[in-house]
Amino acid sequence: MSRTDAPQRRKSLIKNISNSRMLLLMCVPAIAFFVVFNYCPMPGAWIAFTNFNYTDGIFGSPFVGFKNFEFLIKSGQLWLLTRNTILYNIAFIVLGNILQIALAIMLNEIRMKHFKKISQTVMFLPYFISVVLVGVIAFNLLNYDTGALNALIEQTGGDPIKIYSAAGLWPIIIILVHLWQSTGYGSIVYFAAIMGIDRGLFEAAAIDGASAWQRIRYVILPSLKPTFVILLLFSMGGIMHGNFGLFWNLVGNNAALFQTTDIIETSVYRMVLSQNNFTTSTAVGLYQSLFGFALVMLANWIVRRINKDYALF
Amino acid sequence: MKRTIVRAGAAMLALGLSATALVGCTAAEDTGGPTEITMLVLGDKPSNGRLEAMLEQLNERLTKQANATLDLFYIEWADWQTQYNVQLLSGDDNVDLITTATDWLYAWENAEKGAFLPLSEEMLQEHAPKTWAQVDAEGHWDLTKLDDGQIYFIPEDNYTQYTNHGFFYRGDWATAAGLPNGEVTKFEDFTTYFTWVKANKPEAYPWDVALANESALTGYLQGHTDLQTIQQVSAGNYYPFQTSEADPYTVTSWYMEGDELVEAAELARKWNEIGVWREDALNYDGDPREEFYAGLSGADQHHTQTFVTQIVDNMNKKQPGSDPKFFYWGQENGNFFKDILTHGAMAVSANSKHPEKALEVYDLLRNDKEDYMLLNFGIEGTDYIITDDGKLGYPEGYDSSTDALGSNFWAGRMDEYELSKVTDAPDKEQIYAELDAVAKEYPYSTLILNKDAIDPTLAAMSGVLSEYIPQLQYGKFDDPAAAVEEMREKLRDVGYEDARASIQADIDAWAEARGLD
Repeated sequence: MSRTDAPQRRKSLIKNISNSRMLLLMCVPAIAFFVVFNYCPMPGAWIAFTNFNYTDGIFGSPFVGFKNFEFLIKSGQLWLLTRNTILYNIAFIVLGNILQIALAIMLNEIRMKHFKKISQTVMFLPYFISVVLVGVIAFNLLNYDTGALNALIEQTGGDPIKIYSAAGLWPIIIILVHLWQSTGYGSIVYFAAIMGIDRGLFEAAAIDGASAWQRIRYVILPSLKPTFVILLLFSMGGIMHGNFGLFWNLVGNNAALFQTTDIIETSVYRMVLSQNNFTTSTAVGLYQSLFGFALVMLANWIVRRINKDYALF
Repeated sequence: MKRTIVRAGAAMLALGLSATALVGCTAAEDTGGPTEITMLVLGDKPSNGRLEAMLEQLNERLTKQANATLDLFYIEWADWQTQYNVQLLSGDDNVDLITTATDWLYAWENAEKGAFLPLSEEMLQEHAPKTWAQVDAEGHWDLTKLDDGQIYFIPEDNYTQYTNHGFFYRGDWATAAGLPNGEVTKFEDFTTYFTWVKANKPEAYPWDVALANESALTGYLQGHTDLQTIQQVSAGNYYPFQTSEADPYTVTSWYMEGDELVEAAELARKWNEIGVWREDALNYDGDPREEFYAGLSGADQHHTQTFVTQIVDNMNKKQPGSDPKFFYWGQENGNFFKDILTHGAMAVSANSKHPEKALEVYDLLRNDKEDYMLLNFGIEGTDYIITDDGKLGYPEGYDSSTDALGSNFWAGRMDEYELSKVTDAPDKEQIYAELDAVAKEYPYSTLILNKDAIDPTLAAMSGVLSEYIPQLQYGKFDDPAAAVEEMREKLRDVGYEDARASIQADIDAWAEARGLD
């Protein structure tokens, strides 16, 4: 940037700001939220590198380098937690988006207005049910002694299943519950995107004699691509974050299931809960953030290579 | 560009700081009136108004005696395991007195981390003279010092209680199960008892236990070894280091050595097959005690004090004829301890603005009979009555589940001011006398361990133990011996030996300094 350019640029920046002041004003609460809850606590991550004591505080406590990270590697938990967290999220993202798109298209195809409204509401509801309740419902359905599922199996002459000791079943259960909760709500964005498609395209397709399937295949799906990519990138940002409430309420502290259900958040929570150990749990949290950051950068880079316009930055 | 970043950073920092400053502003100003002393208490804050009524009377007295008033800050049972330490971590300067304990409330850890104000002898002598004299006369200050020689908390050393754990069970069912005198005399006898309950009480679980628990293992281990747990060091919820009574200065671990853990796990597996607990006990979060009171569980697990003060009375009322009994871990071989004198203790917060006043108030609560009675038992006539035979009873219509005072002062109770309660087990004295005759003194009350060096190892060990122990406890492994071997292998991999050696070195130094060998 040359010196002579600077005042010119500043002027246009001020002009830009004044032109979009309403938009900026609307952003203020969101910006304040992120500054207060996401940026201000950032220096606290330093605690992960210290042997923390109350007297010296976060920045005065002795520096211990990577000692707090050691146990993760030593215990072999790092790999297990990373693997579980990422695999669950990939399943959530991929299956979630497919189902949300399918649902949005189906809703779009429904012509009866009332039926459309009712089905949309019904699919919406699970999103608003507290995960605590979901956990209780799941336990009452699935538990061995008194669960509804096993009662049904026994009445039909089968052998009851020990679901809460069968680690292999839980990825399926957790994914199903997650999809049940989130698909209806998640489909709104796609539904809105479909609503936004130029009606002329549909008319043209109709004139060309396109079948319903062809209309979906050649008009709707391509138009949803940008929305899909943006949502995908957003969810990449959270790929290292599990759905803590869901996991904790479904699985709790059941050691028999850790192999397939322990994610970074549940592990951190257990650590603070049982060990009074803020430094090691912060270390895990920091690892989670950095690894997640790397993943977002990678995903964005890949998208950029495929189509520059779809990339976030 | 660089400057922009710096500016943005500075702005953010300023914002953060001003937010902190704002929080700081809310602290009370000194107005010259009575100083309010806040005491951190563990337990559920009562909402029946009785606590407030009591505090009103107590504060009138405290204002006259020390120009101070008392307020209680509760950390509730539902989240004490997370909230207690977080509260201390936050450096909250609104709390002056902190209820603590070395065996269950991380007193040593929190003292080391600087949460408590070091109390000088002069300070104690001047502001808590009666407490000072009593603890000093017993020679108990040594139990509360870190290796810097400073006193960090005041022990509840003048209150008799037993907090050794065991099973509560029903004498009527044990009799029907064919146990001589309806009594369990060794841990394995519970197999007979549980089997009978399973077969004859279809509506009850033999032991309706909820969530992670290891008493089916530790109960066995204590009764089948002479190992004694070092309470100063835990790996998460587990206490993996022991010494033996025969060789008290050599650190070992019942998780790592010997065949007893496998035997215990085999027994747990047998119990699991019998159906002693729910198949999904690890995910069941009901209240075992209520189930026991309701006759829906054949056993419950907690300590002698709970048995004497709650179980007997409640069972006699709610399950007449149930003949409640207690089997404590280590009963068969006498391997159990007296209550340690720091099972309850009081610390002054490092952030307290009125530490001297806090000590004065504590001294009154502990030593002034009328203050003590108010805080612990409430207002005479509404919260309690004195019966004709001098016992502490309750007024007509009093229901302990809704009318309790809930002041939970567990950090300075005194035998001198305690009365027998009408709800206490009638044979309380006999139970204590029997325990007294056999119980051992905890040998390591003054031992301080350097845990900094082994913290990451303990964290890793906690990860391993929290995976295996609950499954062993509930008999979930098809081959317990193989599972124990696998767990031992993993514990070795994460550095068990290093941690053991480090603790051994600390014990050696401690023993040498005291001329023990």
